[in-house]
Amino acid sequence: MNNRLPLPYGLLIDRNKPIQFSFEGQHISGFQGDTIASAMISNQSWLLSRSFKYHRPRGPLTMAGQDANTLVQLPSDPNALADKQLISENLMVKGQNYSGSLSRDRGAILGLFSRFLPVGFYYKAFFKPRGIWQKWAPFIRKKAGLGAIDTQLQPDYYDKEYLFCDVLVVGAGPAGMQAAIDCAAAGADVLLVEENPITGGSLNYSRFDVDGSKGQTLRDELLTEISKQSNIKVMTDAVCNGWFADNWLPIIRHKRLYKVRAKQSIFCTGAMEQPALFHNNDLPGVVMSSAAQRLLHLYAIAPGSSAIVLTGNNEGYGTALDLMDAGVRVNCIVDLREDAVHDDIAKAAMDRGVKVKLGYAVYAAHSKTGHRLTEVEIRKVLSPGQCENSGEVLSCDLLCMSVGYTPAYQLACQAGGQLSYDDETAMFTLTNCANNVHLCGSLNSVWQLDQVLMDAQRAAKTALCELGLSESSVVSSPKTGEASPNHPWPIFPHPKGKEFVDFDEDLTIDDIVNATADGYEHIQLVKRYSTCGMGPSQGRHSALAAARLVAEATGRSVAETGVTTARPPFSAEQLGHSAGRRFFPARRTNIHYRHLEANAEMLQAGSWYRPAYYKFNNLDKHQCINREVTNVRHNVGLVDVSTLGALEIRGSDAAEFLNRIYTGGYIKQPVGKARYALLTNEAAVVIDDGVACRLGDDHYFVTATTGGVDRVYQSMLKWNAQWQLNIDIANVTSAYCAVNIAGPKARAVLTQVCDDIDLSDENFPYMGIRSGHVAGIPSRLLRVGFVGELGYEIHVPQHCGEALWDALMTAGHDHSIIPFGIEAQRIMRLEKGHVIVGQDTDAMSNANELQMGWAVNRKKPFFVGGRTLTELEKEPLMRALVGFVLDVSDAPTPCESHLILQGDTMIGRVTSCNYSPTLDKIIGLAYVPPEHAKAGSQLTIKSTGGILVNAKVAELPFFDPDNQRQEL
Amino acid sequence: MTNNPSSQQRRSALYRRHLALGAQFELRGKALCIAQYAEQAHQTEQQQARCLGLCDLSTIPRTGFKGSAAIDWLKTQSVVLPSAINTTAEQPSGSLCAQLSHQEVLLLSDLRCQSEDIARLNQPIDNLAEDSFQQTYELPRADSHCWLAITGSEAARMMAKLCAVDLHSDKFRNGCIAQTAVAKLSSIIIRQDLSDTLCFYLLCDATCVEYIWDCLLDAMDEFAGQAIGIDALLQLHVKN
Repeated sequence: MNNRLPLPYGLLIDRNKPIQFSFEGQHISGFQGDTIASAMISNQSWLLSRSFKYHRPRGPLTMAGQDANTLVQLPSDPNALADKQLISENLMVKGQNYSGSLSRDRGAILGLFSRFLPVGFYYKAFFKPRGIWQKWAPFIRKKAGLGAIDTQLQPDYYDKEYLFCDVLVVGAGPAGMQAAIDCAAAGADVLLVEENPITGGSLNYSRFDVDGSKGQTLRDELLTEISKQSNIKVMTDAVCNGWFADNWLPIIRHKRLYKVRAKQSIFCTGAMEQPALFHNNDLPGVVMSSAAQRLLHLYAIAPGSSAIVLTGNNEGYGTALDLMDAGVRVNCIVDLREDAVHDDIAKAAMDRGVKVKLGYAVYAAHSKTGHRLTEVEIRKVLSPGQCENSGEVLSCDLLCMSVGYTPAYQLACQAGGQLSYDDETAMFTLTNCANNVHLCGSLNSVWQLDQVLMDAQRAAKTALCELGLSESSVVSSPKTGEASPNHPWPIFPHPKGKEFVDFDEDLTIDDIVNATADGYEHIQLVKRYSTCGMGPSQGRHSALAAARLVAEATGRSVAETGVTTARPPFSAEQLGHSAGRRFFPARRTNIHYRHLEANAEMLQAGSWYRPAYYKFNNLDKHQCINREVTNVRHNVGLVDVSTLGALEIRGSDAAEFLNRIYTGGYIKQPVGKARYALLTNEAAVVIDDGVACRLGDDHYFVTATTGGVDRVYQSMLKWNAQWQLNIDIANVTSAYCAVNIAGPKARAVLTQVCDDIDLSDENFPYMGIRSGHVAGIPSRLLRVGFVGELGYEIHVPQHCGEALWDALMTAGHDHSIIPFGIEAQRIMRLEKGHVIVGQDTDAMSNANELQMGWAVNRKKPFFVGGRTLTELEKEPLMRALVGFVLDVSDAPTPCESHLILQGDTMIGRVTSCNYSPTLDKIIGLAYVPPEHAKAGSQLTIKSTGGILVNAKVAELPFFDPDNQRQEL
Repeated sequence: MTNNPSSQQRRSALYRRHLALGAQFELRGKALCIAQYAEQAHQTEQQQARCLGLCDLSTIPRTGFKGSAAIDWLKTQSVVLPSAINTTAEQPSGSLCAQLSHQEVLLLSDLRCQSEDIARLNQPIDNLAEDSFQQTYELPRADSHCWLAITGSEAARMMAKLCAVDLHSDKFRNGCIAQTAVAKLSSIIIRQDLSDTLCFYLLCDATCVEYIWDCLLDAMDEFAGQAIGIDALLQLHVKN
């Protein structure tokens, strides 16, 4: 039977656009604008899910996306909120957390064993007896989680956008709309954010007067005012998900995360209706009053045919009037208050002849079908939480609860707000928010509509004063004698239990009380012990009841008990909102595309893309690399070294600065010469290395490692801020492209394209520097030998890199030039015994351990780390970095970090190891104790798969020990 | 062919992208610039520039200077300095001086590349001052940084997807400079309107130019933004 109501009901639906979808394989009809839940209810179907622990049947509770009763499975999304998710044509929806079918869930049997699943069950059962967890783990893993992930899902496009405003107003109910209007009228740029599809908030569904028109009339007036203000930007379907320092707030809207920076924030987030606690208060058909009103006014659905209203305030009577106006029979209004003072709305409801039971409570709800409410038992209240021994059973298919509210305190608490509990009004209030955050409306415990508007004007005025847009003095909140809507104790324990405090976690009154009896008296401990408030609703409907129960059980006030910390996000966020759009500032040299054209296999070194090796014909990776090595050793190779760090040190104190920063001596370094530069920190640990080139008396060009240059630059700036030497330090890494042409034919190739530099060894010796032109490009040439061959490192302006590469490859064609990548480069430097900082060094490596005492100038008065090195040298070395060799065999080649063993004792580790095509042996570097460092010593390495291989310590370098090749 | 970027000594890392889009290169001064992206595209690109356009200016001359004597030295070289840090001053020749700090200045050539300022200032600096603490050092801005122009009424809204600074015209005035991050990349943003058309110059690490170009085009897609040639900018820029 269709329970749709005629116009003007149905603010959100378009009856001209019917939509068909399916739920659990059943075809369901709805309209555009319907949510899954509203469409289901319009088809008289209330069963949406099964509860987490006991698999109890569940249906919508709030119709506001505030409860986890409506979690359903979409084709590619688990845990969608059915009361927020709009239907679409052919959408296939399924329930979650059931075994068998949603209507006949085998898991429901767990409800019979609830006595064996007490509070703290997880904590108690999983560690006693010892070892029991291994038995539980597989079972829990099978049962854990809600919903199924689509592992084939192609991620959607998510991105982010910054928004800036003078005033951010969160919540577009009456308070928010009024505050936005006032702020905009004073000249502020206002962003008004509303999580629902339309503005208006409670004006769209609550009853504020006898004839029920005040809400809509006021909404229309406020909307008209908003439309007149060009400086109000309205965002609907947008959730403010947190508050962070200095008014930075994330707003989630569709697939975009807006990062809002507001000068002032006004929170008008309203209040969340709270449930009453009685036996079976979780049955489908038991709803908040506001849920029934939303169904009526927003979706044009009569939520039942026979209703009971349980109320602790006069608002419940308004709900009764709404139901009766829509043709729903209201069997009874059960008013918890014995001495209720009725307002005009309540009197109007009573005048319609509906039965009212004052001083009564709903003691239990029942279902004859198992899936939907069919009757309730009401009893006379004797004292808080106590009822008479018997009562009256009333038939109904709808029970509306109106027993009070909790302010939607989450954002306010994140902004420093403190919750306190007023015993007189029986509700939480908020104070002490940050200076640039203001609260108004029901969030600020103001309820009467005219008072709400005045409170909004107050908040707006305060914000405007902070902005300097108003000089008026601020008035206090207009909380004048309003009746509190909160009943102090809508909690009625039942001998059969099942009075749910936390619907998400299936926690009842006994669970909370027993948690305190187990010794967990602090609300934070109750939360963690019981999991109360840890489910998808995050305590929206359990915090108040839990605080009341814990307070009573522990003999404290509710104010003293408090609630648990509300942390962002306010609502569930997709991972895509946080992650997308991903920004990774990839760096490429100017030669990048030449590498791709040469079939390079690229790798990422930090943010740089570098060629690892170049694929050739059908050779495998190692064959390609060996080919490159062999070609450099016999002919000539070209490698892109543009990623190396480059720093310019200029000024009259440049030499002195280098002398203090690096371990070597630079004061007497001749102009036109390069020197090795080893960098240590104050602990004498080696942190970087490079080459220092003296271009002039007051000008150095210093290289650093690809990954270390930014750190080196910062370190230099820091030290000179202290030393105040007359220098300028510039990080020019990106300004230059650099290549290294290496091999016995390097000079022959270079000579063809360089006619203004004498490249002969006599005039351009090893470690020399020259400036000139290569292929007409202004160039700086360094004669250095990282790979141990005759080589020239050529630095040119960044945008000339590709032209340089082309010229050298063309010139080298007849000399069998091929490019080589960093894998080949690493093998060749290993053959020469050169360390790589960060690979062959660790957080403790000093120059002596690395056998690099030659790089340390002992005569100068100071260098960073020098004093520590001196102290370290008073003690024997603990370890030394040595070279080792082993023959090629079937045994797996050792890798970095493989252990050196003596018996079962670890005595060292491998830092580098590779096959050397030049030597046809496996070579490497390793840390060993000094007594094992002598050439010829045997080493046992635990290689891949635990296989032990024998190696022999070798003198370094492995190849060309006299360095003749690089000094050709 | 002299207008083929792959035959030039200096090559923007983006030239392949530009060629793939049908870019037509022309020499402006000594710089090979993208005039437009298709034949007869002047009108279209000018309209595009008013809405949202992206132009690669990386081949146009620029330079930088820093040091305790840099500001004074530049004055001796007849450079008009801005009135405040993080603002710009247009030169009589049409080039632009942007002061980044008390001791650092960035100079951008005019878009027609007719100004001699950059070449003139890039001559060796005589730092043989009596006071060795007063120094001026040149910075290789023509190579360390790429230079892009983002134009049009949607420019600020688009940039809000990449940058945390509010670049809306009522908050970020013409001639102002923001030294900030764009898409996680350290950047210099200079607002330099072309007559009444909003225009941002974006300068950032030259080795990341492909990355930032892709980021900008992706962010512009929502607003139907496109790459445009320098002629569209010149048509919008009316010399006073």
